[in-house]
Amino acid sequence: MTESDKQKLIRQYAAGEITWHALRERGFDSYLDVLAGLGELGLRPPVAPMEGPNVEARRRGRAIIREALKAHK
Amino acid sequence: MSKPFSLIVTDTSPLFTLVLADALDALLRPGLPVRIPDAVYVEATRVHGAPGADQIVEWLNAHLDLVTIVPTDVGIDQQRRLEEGRSIRGLGEQAAVEALDRFLRSDPTAEALLLFEDTDIQKRRAVVEERVSLISTGDFLRELEAAGLIQSTDYILDQAAAQGRNVERQREIGEEATTRERLRDQLQQRRGARDLER
Repeated sequence: MTESDKQKLIRQYAAGEITWHALRERGFDSYLDVLAGLGELGLRPPVAPMEGPNVEARRRGRAIIREALKAHK
Repeated sequence: MSKPFSLIVTDTSPLFTLVLADALDALLRPGLPVRIPDAVYVEATRVHGAPGADQIVEWLNAHLDLVTIVPTDVGIDQQRRLEEGRSIRGLGEQAAVEALDRFLRSDPTAEALLLFEDTDIQKRRAVVEERVSLISTGDFLRELEAAGLIQSTDYILDQAAAQGRNVERQREIGEEATTRERLRDQLQQRRGARDLER
């Protein structure tokens, strides 16, 4: 994979167009390499919008964390 | 919260993101027991001197009361593959499935919260049952931010990427250090052999 291919994939990843799983399948062995690529391009890891096939389970997850944080304060 | 909850780290990405941002303690803020499958832990720490690896080991040792490394069959397979020089790609995720299964079977009232990387959780359907909830690194940080426990989600992610920029340089230093250590070992072995000959 050329450097420019890597950068293209990292940009797609930062934009939320492709997944970390897809990056692994295309040759990224470690998430450190992804963070390195993001850093070099001045990008940050993507934060997923609340949509997609797991939304209900994610809403439950956020509620659990919220409740735990309140209880743990 | 009366049910036994556990936060299961399904992949190395949350660990690397948080360790590079110097924010691993964020995982402990909710006060939930954290379970890291062995294959995920090994994948994150197996290269001595790699960025973040030593900090993860030290952090774990400082919080053995809250953080557990979960032994799995996948982890055993991972060791074998490492010894044989074969790929271990994707084994962390498989170990997380096994760790989840073991956890749910251990207690019929137990509930698990799986910590995922953001793009994977958004696009890939996770096979979950009612006792399993999901959270992404970004969602997790957003909740900490809302609770006033971190400065901001963007700040943490920016820090992780900024430190990531130095990853290659740190790796080179690590490799140089490993080479130096090997050279030192060889010299010591030679000296020892010479001393025995005398």
